[in-house]
Amino acid sequence: MGQLLLTSTSMLAEAGAEGSVEHTASYNAIHLFFTLTILLVVMFGLMAWGKTGFSDRVFKKRITSCFEQLYLFIDNMCVGTVGPHGRKYVPMIMTFWMVIFTGNVLALFMPYSPTANLSFNVGMALISIFYVQFEGMRANGVLGHFKHFAGPKLAWPMIPITLMIFVIELISELMKNVSLSLRLYGNIHGGHAAVEAMNKLGSPLYLPLGEFLLPIKVLTCVVQAMIFTLLTCVYLSLVTHHAEEEAAHPTGVAVAH
Amino acid sequence: MGSTLGLGIGIAALGCGIGLGLIGNGALQGMSRQPEAIGKLQVAMLIALAFVELVFLLSVFVVPGAVAGK
Repeated sequence: MGQLLLTSTSMLAEAGAEGSVEHTASYNAIHLFFTLTILLVVMFGLMAWGKTGFSDRVFKKRITSCFEQLYLFIDNMCVGTVGPHGRKYVPMIMTFWMVIFTGNVLALFMPYSPTANLSFNVGMALISIFYVQFEGMRANGVLGHFKHFAGPKLAWPMIPITLMIFVIELISELMKNVSLSLRLYGNIHGGHAAVEAMNKLGSPLYLPLGEFLLPIKVLTCVVQAMIFTLLTCVYLSLVTHHAEEEAAHPTGVAVAH
Repeated sequence: MGSTLGLGIGIAALGCGIGLGLIGNGALQGMSRQPEAIGKLQVAMLIALAFVELVFLLSVFVVPGAVAGK
Protein backbone atom coordinates (compact mmCIF):
# COMPACT_ATOMS: atom_id res chain seq x y z
CA MET A 1 0.00 0.00 0.00
CA GLY A 2 2.79 2.38 0.94
CA GLN A 3 4.66 1.42 -2.20
CA LEU A 4 1.57 2.07 -4.29
CA LEU A 5 1.07 5.48 -2.69
CA LEU A 6 4.74 6.31 -3.24
CA THR A 7 4.59 5.27 -6.89
CA SER A 8 1.42 7.20 -7.57
CA THR A 9 2.69 10.37 -5.90
CA SER A 10 5.99 10.20 -7.78
CA MET A 11 4.02 9.68 -10.99
CA LEU A 12 1.92 12.72 -10.17
CA ALA A 13 5.04 14.77 -9.50
CA GLU A 14 6.60 13.72 -12.80
CA ALA A 15 3.41 14.53 -14.68
CA GLY A 16 3.27 17.95 -13.04
CA ALA A 17 6.89 18.63 -13.92
CA GLU A 18 6.56 17.64 -17.55
CA GLY A 19 3.80 20.07 -18.36
CA SER A 20 2.25 17.98 -21.09
CA VAL A 21 0.28 15.40 -19.19
CA GLU A 22 -1.90 14.03 -21.93
CA HIS A 23 -2.04 10.24 -22.33
CA THR A 24 0.17 9.47 -19.37
CA ALA A 25 -0.70 6.92 -16.76
CA SER A 26 -1.14 9.48 -13.99
CA TYR A 27 -3.45 11.58 -16.14
CA ASN A 28 -5.66 8.56 -16.60
CA ALA A 29 -5.38 7.73 -12.90
CA ILE A 30 -6.57 11.19 -11.85
CA HIS A 31 -9.58 10.92 -14.15
CA LEU A 32 -10.27 7.40 -12.97
CA PHE A 33 -10.25 8.34 -9.28
CA PHE A 34 -12.27 11.50 -9.87
CA THR A 35 -14.98 9.75 -11.86
CA LEU A 36 -14.91 6.75 -9.54
CA THR A 37 -15.65 9.05 -6.60
CA ILE A 38 -18.57 10.58 -8.49
CA LEU A 39 -19.79 7.09 -9.37
CA LEU A 40 -19.69 5.90 -5.76
CA VAL A 41 -21.37 9.06 -4.46
CA VAL A 42 -24.17 8.80 -7.04
CA MET A 43 -24.64 5.08 -6.50
CA PHE A 44 -24.67 5.10 -2.72
CA GLY A 45 -26.71 8.30 -2.71
CA LEU A 46 -29.40 6.67 -4.84
CA MET A 47 -29.33 3.59 -2.62
CA ALA A 48 -29.64 5.70 0.53
CA TRP A 49 -32.49 7.65 -1.04
CA GLY A 50 -34.20 4.41 -1.90
CA LYS A 51 -33.69 3.13 1.62
CA THR A 52 -35.54 6.08 3.13
CA GLY A 53 -38.69 4.80 1.42
CA PHE A 54 -38.78 1.60 3.43
CA SER A 55 -41.75 1.01 5.63
CA ASP A 56 -43.22 -2.00 7.37
CA ARG A 57 -45.59 -3.04 4.66
CA VAL A 58 -45.42 -0.73 1.66
CA PHE A 59 -42.74 1.11 -0.25
CA LYS A 60 -43.52 4.77 0.21
CA LYS A 61 -41.32 6.25 -2.49
CA ARG A 62 -41.12 5.73 -6.19
CA ILE A 63 -37.36 5.15 -6.14
CA THR A 64 -37.78 2.29 -3.69
CA SER A 65 -40.12 0.61 -6.14
CA CYS A 66 -37.53 1.20 -8.88
CA PHE A 67 -34.92 -0.59 -6.78
CA GLU A 68 -37.39 -3.38 -6.18
CA GLN A 69 -37.87 -3.78 -9.91
CA LEU A 70 -34.10 -3.79 -10.38
CA TYR A 71 -33.76 -6.47 -7.72
CA LEU A 72 -36.46 -8.57 -9.36
CA PHE A 73 -34.72 -8.19 -12.73
CA ILE A 74 -31.37 -9.35 -11.34
CA ASP A 75 -33.01 -12.12 -9.34
CA ASN A 76 -34.86 -13.31 -12.42
CA MET A 77 -31.62 -13.28 -14.42
CA CYS A 78 -29.70 -15.24 -11.77
CA VAL A 79 -32.39 -17.83 -11.21
CA GLY A 80 -33.12 -18.16 -14.91
CA THR A 81 -29.49 -18.60 -15.91
CA VAL A 82 -27.85 -20.39 -13.00
CA GLY A 83 -30.80 -22.43 -11.78
CA PRO A 84 -32.70 -22.68 -8.51
CA HIS A 85 -29.55 -22.21 -6.45
CA GLY A 86 -28.72 -19.00 -8.27
CA ARG A 87 -30.38 -16.74 -5.73
CA LYS A 88 -27.33 -16.72 -3.48
CA TYR A 89 -25.28 -15.01 -6.23
CA VAL A 90 -27.67 -12.04 -6.43
CA PRO A 91 -25.62 -9.65 -4.19
CA MET A 92 -22.48 -10.01 -6.32
CA ILE A 93 -24.34 -9.73 -9.63
CA MET A 94 -26.32 -6.75 -8.33
CA THR A 95 -23.10 -5.00 -7.31
CA PHE A 96 -21.61 -5.53 -10.76
CA TRP A 97 -24.77 -4.34 -12.47
CA MET A 98 -25.05 -1.19 -10.43
CA VAL A 99 -21.39 -0.22 -10.72
CA ILE A 100 -21.29 -0.82 -14.47
CA PHE A 101 -24.63 0.83 -15.17
CA THR A 102 -23.84 3.90 -13.08
CA GLY A 103 -20.44 4.14 -14.74
CA ASN A 104 -21.99 3.86 -18.19
CA VAL A 105 -24.58 6.52 -17.44
CA LEU A 106 -21.79 8.71 -16.10
CA ALA A 107 -20.05 8.24 -19.45
CA LEU A 108 -23.03 9.95 -21.12
CA PHE A 109 -22.41 13.16 -19.20
CA MET A 110 -18.66 13.24 -18.80
CA PRO A 111 -15.75 12.74 -21.19
CA TYR A 112 -14.29 10.15 -18.81
CA SER A 113 -15.82 7.35 -16.91
CA PRO A 114 -14.49 4.47 -14.81
CA THR A 115 -15.93 1.99 -17.29
CA ALA A 116 -14.13 3.76 -20.14
CA ASN A 117 -10.84 2.89 -18.45
CA LEU A 118 -9.27 -0.45 -19.30
CA SER A 119 -7.60 -0.85 -15.91
CA PHE A 120 -10.84 -0.53 -14.00
CA ASN A 121 -12.55 -3.00 -16.32
CA VAL A 122 -9.72 -5.50 -15.99
CA GLY A 123 -10.04 -5.17 -12.23
CA MET A 124 -13.75 -5.88 -12.36
CA ALA A 125 -13.26 -8.80 -14.73
CA LEU A 126 -10.59 -10.26 -12.43
CA ILE A 127 -12.96 -10.00 -9.47
CA SER A 128 -15.68 -11.67 -11.51
CA ILE A 129 -13.48 -14.53 -12.73
CA PHE A 130 -11.94 -15.20 -9.32
CA TYR A 131 -15.39 -15.15 -7.76
CA VAL A 132 -16.52 -17.72 -10.32
CA GLN A 133 -13.52 -19.94 -9.51
CA PHE A 134 -14.18 -19.56 -5.79
CA GLU A 135 -17.82 -20.50 -6.16
CA GLY A 136 -16.84 -23.47 -8.34
CA MET A 137 -14.47 -24.71 -5.67
CA ARG A 138 -17.12 -24.20 -3.01
CA ALA A 139 -19.70 -26.13 -5.01
CA ASN A 140 -17.58 -29.03 -6.28
CA GLY A 141 -14.55 -29.05 -4.00
CA VAL A 142 -11.08 -28.00 -5.15
CA LEU A 143 -10.29 -31.30 -6.88
CA GLY A 144 -13.72 -31.55 -8.42
CA HIS A 145 -13.39 -28.04 -9.77
CA PHE A 146 -10.09 -28.85 -11.49
CA LYS A 147 -11.48 -32.16 -12.71
CA HIS A 148 -14.16 -30.13 -14.42
CA PHE A 149 -11.41 -28.47 -16.47
CA ALA A 150 -10.19 -31.82 -17.78
CA GLY A 151 -13.37 -32.55 -19.69
CA PRO A 152 -15.13 -35.91 -19.82
CA LYS A 153 -13.57 -39.04 -18.37
CA LEU A 154 -11.69 -40.92 -21.09
CA ALA A 155 -9.86 -44.24 -21.23
CA TRP A 156 -6.24 -44.20 -20.08
CA PRO A 157 -4.62 -44.12 -23.58
CA MET A 158 -6.33 -40.76 -24.08
CA ILE A 159 -4.42 -39.02 -21.27
CA PRO A 160 -2.62 -36.65 -23.71
CA ILE A 161 -6.00 -35.48 -24.98
CA THR A 162 -7.20 -34.87 -21.44
CA LEU A 163 -4.05 -32.84 -20.79
CA MET A 164 -4.65 -30.83 -23.94
CA ILE A 165 -8.26 -30.16 -22.93
CA PHE A 166 -7.01 -29.04 -19.52
CA VAL A 167 -4.57 -26.56 -21.04
CA ILE A 168 -7.16 -25.25 -23.50
CA GLU A 169 -9.68 -24.78 -20.69
CA LEU A 170 -7.11 -22.86 -18.65
CA ILE A 171 -6.41 -20.59 -21.62
CA SER A 172 -10.12 -20.04 -22.14
CA GLU A 173 -10.47 -19.09 -18.47
CA LEU A 174 -7.79 -16.45 -18.98
CA MET A 175 -9.47 -15.26 -22.18
CA LYS A 176 -12.76 -14.82 -20.33
CA ASN A 177 -11.06 -12.11 -18.33
CA VAL A 178 -9.81 -10.39 -21.48
CA SER A 179 -13.17 -10.68 -23.19
CA LEU A 180 -15.18 -9.26 -20.28
CA SER A 181 -12.91 -6.27 -19.78
CA LEU A 182 -12.19 -5.49 -23.41
CA ARG A 183 -15.85 -5.65 -24.40
CA LEU A 184 -16.90 -3.09 -21.82
CA TYR A 185 -13.91 -0.87 -22.49
CA GLY A 186 -14.35 -1.07 -26.25
CA ASN A 187 -18.02 -0.19 -26.13
CA ILE A 188 -17.79 2.76 -23.75
CA HIS A 189 -14.49 4.14 -24.97
CA GLY A 190 -15.54 3.49 -28.56
CA GLY A 191 -18.72 5.46 -27.92
CA HIS A 192 -16.63 8.39 -26.71
CA ALA A 193 -14.35 8.15 -29.72
CA ALA A 194 -17.31 8.01 -32.10
CA VAL A 195 -18.92 11.09 -30.51
CA GLU A 196 -15.65 12.98 -30.73
CA ALA A 197 -15.24 12.05 -34.40
CA MET A 198 -18.79 13.15 -35.21
CA ASN A 199 -18.31 16.40 -33.31
CA LYS A 200 -15.19 17.05 -35.36
CA LEU A 201 -17.24 16.38 -38.48
CA GLY A 202 -19.80 19.01 -37.50
CA SER A 203 -17.41 21.56 -36.03
CA PRO A 204 -17.11 23.75 -39.21
CA LEU A 205 -20.86 24.34 -39.00
CA TYR A 206 -20.89 24.54 -35.16
CA LEU A 207 -23.21 21.55 -35.06
CA PRO A 208 -22.89 19.02 -32.22
CA LEU A 209 -23.44 16.05 -34.48
CA GLY A 210 -22.22 13.66 -31.79
CA GLU A 211 -25.40 14.35 -29.91
CA PHE A 212 -27.31 12.21 -32.36
CA LEU A 213 -25.42 9.17 -31.10
CA LEU A 214 -27.06 9.60 -27.70
CA PRO A 215 -29.89 7.04 -28.20
CA ILE A 216 -27.52 4.27 -29.18
CA LYS A 217 -25.24 5.18 -26.28
CA VAL A 218 -28.14 4.90 -23.86
CA LEU A 219 -28.91 1.49 -25.35
CA THR A 220 -25.25 0.52 -24.98
CA CYS A 221 -25.33 1.49 -21.29
CA VAL A 222 -28.06 -0.97 -20.44
CA VAL A 223 -26.91 -3.72 -22.79
CA GLN A 224 -23.28 -3.68 -21.66
CA ALA A 225 -24.20 -3.76 -17.97
CA MET A 226 -26.55 -6.63 -18.74
CA ILE A 227 -24.02 -8.55 -20.82
CA PHE A 228 -21.30 -8.35 -18.17
CA THR A 229 -23.61 -9.64 -15.46
CA LEU A 230 -25.24 -12.19 -17.74
CA LEU A 231 -21.89 -13.63 -18.75
CA THR A 232 -20.86 -13.81 -15.10
CA CYS A 233 -24.08 -15.73 -14.47
CA VAL A 234 -23.36 -18.06 -17.38
CA TYR A 235 -19.84 -18.74 -16.12
CA LEU A 236 -21.26 -19.38 -12.65
CA SER A 237 -23.80 -21.81 -14.05
CA LEU A 238 -21.12 -23.63 -16.06
CA VAL A 239 -18.95 -24.03 -12.98
CA THR A 240 -21.50 -24.80 -10.29
CA HIS A 241 -24.30 -26.85 -11.82
CA HIS A 242 -22.59 -30.23 -12.22
CA ALA A 243 -22.54 -31.32 -8.59
CA GLU A 244 -26.10 -30.16 -8.03
CA GLU A 245 -27.30 -31.96 -11.13
CA GLU A 246 -25.63 -35.25 -10.17
CA ALA A 247 -27.03 -34.95 -6.68
CA ALA A 248 -30.50 -34.14 -7.95
CA HIS A 249 -30.66 -36.79 -10.65
CA PRO A 250 -31.13 -39.98 -8.57
CA THR A 251 -33.92 -38.43 -6.54
CA GLY A 252 -35.57 -37.28 -9.76
CA VAL A 253 -35.45 -40.86 -11.06
CA ALA A 254 -36.87 -42.14 -7.79
CA VAL A 255 -39.72 -39.66 -7.95
CA ALA A 256 -40.39 -40.64 -11.55
CA HIS A 257 -40.61 -44.29 -10.57
CA MET B 1 0.46 1.91 -43.32
CA GLY B 2 -2.45 3.95 -41.98
CA SER B 3 -4.66 3.33 -45.00
CA THR B 4 -3.91 -0.40 -44.83
CA LEU B 5 -5.03 -0.44 -41.21
CA GLY B 6 -8.19 1.42 -42.13
CA LEU B 7 -8.96 -1.05 -44.88
CA GLY B 8 -8.37 -3.96 -42.52
CA ILE B 9 -10.68 -2.51 -39.89
CA GLY B 10 -13.27 -1.90 -42.59
CA ILE B 11 -13.11 -5.56 -43.58
CA ALA B 12 -13.39 -6.54 -39.92
CA ALA B 13 -16.46 -4.31 -39.58
CA LEU B 14 -17.93 -5.97 -42.70
CA GLY B 15 -17.54 -9.43 -41.16
CA CYS B 16 -18.88 -8.25 -37.81
CA GLY B 17 -21.89 -6.68 -39.53
CA ILE B 18 -22.66 -9.89 -41.40
CA GLY B 19 -22.42 -11.88 -38.17
CA LEU B 20 -24.66 -9.48 -36.25
CA GLY B 21 -27.18 -9.54 -39.09
CA LEU B 22 -27.27 -13.33 -39.09
CA ILE B 23 -27.81 -13.40 -35.33
CA GLY B 24 -30.59 -10.84 -35.54
CA ASN B 25 -32.16 -12.75 -38.41
CA GLY B 26 -32.13 -16.03 -36.52
CA ALA B 27 -33.41 -14.49 -33.30
CA LEU B 28 -36.23 -12.62 -35.06
CA GLN B 29 -37.32 -15.74 -36.92
CA GLY B 30 -37.30 -17.72 -33.71
CA MET B 31 -39.24 -15.02 -31.88
CA SER B 32 -41.88 -14.76 -34.59
CA ARG B 33 -42.35 -18.51 -34.66
CA GLN B 34 -42.51 -18.90 -30.91
CA PRO B 35 -43.45 -15.63 -29.21
CA GLU B 36 -43.59 -17.23 -25.76
CA ALA B 37 -39.85 -17.95 -25.92
CA ILE B 38 -38.92 -14.29 -26.49
CA GLY B 39 -37.21 -13.89 -23.12
CA LYS B 40 -34.88 -16.85 -23.51
CA LEU B 41 -34.18 -15.99 -27.15
CA GLN B 42 -33.28 -12.42 -26.24
CA VAL B 43 -30.81 -13.58 -23.62
CA ALA B 44 -29.15 -16.04 -25.99
CA MET B 45 -29.13 -13.40 -28.73
CA LEU B 46 -27.44 -10.85 -26.49
CA ILE B 47 -24.73 -13.32 -25.53
CA ALA B 48 -24.08 -14.17 -29.17
CA LEU B 49 -24.04 -10.48 -30.08
CA ALA B 50 -21.48 -9.87 -27.35
CA PHE B 51 -19.19 -12.56 -28.70
CA VAL B 52 -19.37 -11.28 -32.26
CA GLU B 53 -18.77 -7.75 -31.07
CA LEU B 54 -15.74 -8.87 -29.11
CA VAL B 55 -14.00 -10.11 -32.24
CA PHE B 56 -14.40 -6.71 -33.84
CA LEU B 57 -13.22 -4.94 -30.70
CA LEU B 58 -10.19 -7.21 -30.57
CA SER B 59 -9.36 -6.31 -34.16
CA VAL B 60 -9.80 -2.60 -33.45
CA PHE B 61 -7.83 -2.39 -30.20
CA VAL B 62 -5.26 -5.16 -30.45
CA VAL B 63 -4.22 -5.25 -34.09
CA PRO B 64 -3.12 -1.58 -34.41
CA GLY B 65 -1.04 -2.00 -31.28
CA ALA B 66 0.52 -5.20 -32.59
CA VAL B 67 1.30 -3.56 -35.94
CA ALA B 68 2.79 -0.47 -34.29
CA GLY B 69 4.85 -2.61 -31.90
CA LYS B 70 6.55 -4.44 -34.77
